[in-house]
Amino acid sequence: MWIYEKKLEYPVNIQKRDLKMAKSLLSQYGGPDSELSAALRYLTQRYTMPDEKGKALLTDIATEEMAHIEMISAMIFQLMQGATVEELKNAGMGGMFAEHDHALFPTDALGVPWTASYIEATGDYIADLESDMAAEQRARATYEHLMDLTNDPDVLAPLSFLRQREIVHYQRFKELRNYYLDKKI
Amino acid sequence: MNNYSLNKDYYNYVNNNYNQPLFSENANPSTVLDPYNGFIRGNMFPKLYNGYKIQKPFEIQPINEQAELLTYLDTYSFATTDLNLYLDVFPNDKDMIELFNQYRVEKNKILEQYEKKYGPILLNSNALLSYPWAWDDKPWPWENK
Repeated sequence: MWIYEKKLEYPVNIQKRDLKMAKSLLSQYGGPDSELSAALRYLTQRYTMPDEKGKALLTDIATEEMAHIEMISAMIFQLMQGATVEELKNAGMGGMFAEHDHALFPTDALGVPWTASYIEATGDYIADLESDMAAEQRARATYEHLMDLTNDPDVLAPLSFLRQREIVHYQRFKELRNYYLDKKI
Repeated sequence: MNNYSLNKDYYNYVNNNYNQPLFSENANPSTVLDPYNGFIRGNMFPKLYNGYKIQKPFEIQPINEQAELLTYLDTYSFATTDLNLYLDVFPNDKDMIELFNQYRVEKNKILEQYEKKYGPILLNSNALLSYPWAWDDKPWPWENK
């Protein structure tokens, strides 16, 4: 089971509304390499890990990814806070408003709804771990694109934190994959 | 976007440490950052740090005493999270287990102190021995401070 901690992993306090940035950030909320996909991918794959290391690592990284969903959600929520219909329309979010008003609905930055095929579980732990490594790299690249899109330090700070977490997760997945290959597990 | 492809930084980035195999049976990172410096970088292991766009990590600037104590809690909480992942892969690293437990104990102390002063973060907090029900008090994590 899970326990809720009523705080964020890293603080999000955005003072300036920026609807275009909010729309771009959807990429990490409901896109293929989003935090949502990552959390569910690792939670799905942990059942077919071959040993206790694998079960532990996938459980713990998935849990951290849930904290990242909450951070990204907080960023989108704060960037959109108090936006009028007119402002949403001008930022290209008229369609989103029609479907979801101010709700946080998981789509990618282009409005494509999140889908379970992003989970990528094969039951083959080497294939799964290598796919996880690639997913962390793609998410790292996405965070760089997102950082390219803003100069607001309130937005850059949490993005920079999240990007670095992708690098650490990539490293741990790689170490586990190398261990399995090395030990012929 | 490949506006950085001819930039020198790009090559530095490609050659960065994190992309090299670190794996060994008894990998023992010689140095681990302190919780605050690990937290602002998003990683406790200096060799794994790899910056992008920003010149140096953002310092946390708490707006009041509550935010300051929360930051203190965040840093120790983060330290245990990152060492936890490392230990999952390297469960025989005795020094790191010791460090993990040192941070875990400190985190629990700060947590208790925070909850006593500002209300519950966990549903098993003694701060819930209060009337009226304190769990639904502000602030919620996603709201601006």
